[in-house]
Amino acid sequence: MSSQALISTLLLIALLPLLSALVAIVIPASYRWVTPLASSLLLALASVLSLLLSISQWNEPTLVWENTWFSLGESTVTAGILLNNTTLVLLSVVTFISFMVHLFSIGYMAGDKGEQRYYSMLGFFTFAMLGLVLADNLLLLFVFWELVGFSSYMLIGHWREKDAATAAAKKAFIINRIADLGFIIALLIIWTHTGSFSLSSFNFEEQEVWRTGAALCLLLAVMGKSAQLPFFNWLSSAMEGPTPVSALIHAATMVVAGVFLLIRVFALFTPLALDVVVIIGSTTAVLGALAALHQFDFKRILAYSTISQLGLLVAAVGTGAYGVALLHLLTHAFFKAGLFLGAGAVIHSLHQAQHSSHVHFDVQDIRNLGGLRKEMPITFFCFSICSAALAGLPLFSGFQSKDAILVSVFSWSGDLVWRQAFAWTIVITSILTIFYTVRMLWFVFFEEAKKTSLLTIQEVPTIMRIPLVLLSLGSLWWMVAFHPLDFSGWLLDSIQPNQEHNLFITWLSLISIPTLTVLAFLWFKKKKKRSTHAFLQEGYYLDYLNSLLVTKPVLAMSTVSERIDKRGLDGILHGFAYLTVGLAHFLAWIDKNIVDGLVNTSGRLAKGLGSIARSFSGGQIQSYIFWSVFALVISLFWFLFY
Amino acid sequence: MSLQPIYILSTLLFSIGLVIVLVKRNAILVLMGIELMLNAANLNLTAFNKTVPASLDGQVFALFVMVIAVCETAVGLAIILQVYRYYHTSVPDEINELKG
Repeated sequence: MSSQALISTLLLIALLPLLSALVAIVIPASYRWVTPLASSLLLALASVLSLLLSISQWNEPTLVWENTWFSLGESTVTAGILLNNTTLVLLSVVTFISFMVHLFSIGYMAGDKGEQRYYSMLGFFTFAMLGLVLADNLLLLFVFWELVGFSSYMLIGHWREKDAATAAAKKAFIINRIADLGFIIALLIIWTHTGSFSLSSFNFEEQEVWRTGAALCLLLAVMGKSAQLPFFNWLSSAMEGPTPVSALIHAATMVVAGVFLLIRVFALFTPLALDVVVIIGSTTAVLGALAALHQFDFKRILAYSTISQLGLLVAAVGTGAYGVALLHLLTHAFFKAGLFLGAGAVIHSLHQAQHSSHVHFDVQDIRNLGGLRKEMPITFFCFSICSAALAGLPLFSGFQSKDAILVSVFSWSGDLVWRQAFAWTIVITSILTIFYTVRMLWFVFFEEAKKTSLLTIQEVPTIMRIPLVLLSLGSLWWMVAFHPLDFSGWLLDSIQPNQEHNLFITWLSLISIPTLTVLAFLWFKKKKKRSTHAFLQEGYYLDYLNSLLVTKPVLAMSTVSERIDKRGLDGILHGFAYLTVGLAHFLAWIDKNIVDGLVNTSGRLAKGLGSIARSFSGGQIQSYIFWSVFALVISLFWFLFY
Repeated sequence: MSLQPIYILSTLLFSIGLVIVLVKRNAILVLMGIELMLNAANLNLTAFNKTVPASLDGQVFALFVMVIAVCETAVGLAIILQVYRYYHTSVPDEINELKG
């Protein structure tokens, strides 16, 4: 394919979701049933195009297409496309998952008031993410980074009449903005030291400190976007949005953007910065897994699981195995989208059942659910496959990618004790992952039906089953490699070949993961007590900590400034105001009494003169005679005496 | 015989007539005032004739004045009568239809 045609195709792929967003807005309300179909069709086109493009361009040399964006003095900022294997993987994943989410939403969002706004923002979200993936320089990437944040804000707060949803949307946006400060600082550092935002080359010349600084600042932005410690609480709150949106955010767009950025700017990271990345990632992974084990909200379990898996991804990048991170990103995108859509299917069909039977309870609380495997067999089947991939059972994609992560972490740790500690953290995370996955499955699908027994539950419509089936197919081993136990397949061989293998770890996982899964099942079957720790359930009180460390000081500061404003500034302002008013009163008095007085006096004078003159011709005959006689007498006097 | 008292009398008569004309509202009384003033003039005319005793011009003038006064009074009274019939009043100030 010629490079011109290639670029046109790429632009087309990126603009199709934007077109879908526009179409969803401009369709008149009377034809709103067209919106889901049109948007899904456009996304399907984008998805097919990017798959074909990825297959044809796989392992081709890196393509950079740059245009002058703007010039500042002598330096020029370019904007363009950077296309390599990483981009292709993300391109396909984003469009495919977005297409699946669109399909699922046709059923899930049917009859929603803001349906058109919803599809419009889904399209825009996808567009922003595609732009972020394709961007060839950091500044352009930052623009799309912000657009991704904005569209996630719009989608999380889609049900804007719900207070919790708007609060969650604001939280996501604000926390991301705070973390984005790091991005801006990093941009400044990189521009100052290299004079270019280009992603294809970083030429920091022996300036380790600044390079590490820039890398850590970018890491801060990634920690916000990819929900790493200490910014991860927005992701669990974001569950207030519609469930398909959660699938999109968790699998393909928002949180993936952070990991993608890490992979893109990997060359920038110094060994020191990479160590920090691993520490952040592995800590988040284990904390997220622990919290997931103590949630009762269906979607929150999945949210914390995402946080934990993102921790793994970040840690994998930190160990230097960015290819492994990309591999896990791919497998995670499929099984996590499948899990979320499965959860969406459960919630949707329970809501439908509640509507028809007028029994109401919180359908997202797993304590109310149970026994759904009989009523919703297909959802159960797909959900189980995705869960198996999440837990890392052999024959599923999760096994291979997690194996790769474990191997890379242990090869990174070597003999250093502190590094080994973090490597073991990852192992613990994997074990916890098995437990919370089994717990979720057990509560929702196995155990005897609790409140759900009051309802007549039906399987979700076909349009919602298709994405579930496709995504669960994508969670099988062949997504990674043809050999079900080997992680080096088409992806890893092309992006970061010659990954070390560690047969000991592979065999150990092969034996221990199924064993642990069975153990976990037995454990939850036996365990009737359902106590939990508030500390873990509330996500380590990060919200409380936030309010203590950020909200309260800010509020206190604003109270103080309000007082200063009221007492000091307002006093001066009021003084001025009183002065002005007093002066105005004085001027008004002058105006009324002196200026007006003059005018009035002349008026009255004229009036008086007029009335005197009028009185001579008042129609009184006798007064005429009187005045005539008066005049006669005066003229007589005049003639006689002068 | 001195003529001064006669002058004073005629002046008084004239003044009274003038005041009646100026002050009274009724048209008939105004006519009467005019008669008084005319009579004051007649008195003066006869008195002035005293200075030229040979002629009787003053007296003749007085006779003419009386005749004209009678005519004037007849016409005036007729007008007043007509006005009274039409307007039911003989006060000139109340007849103000022509007043702009």
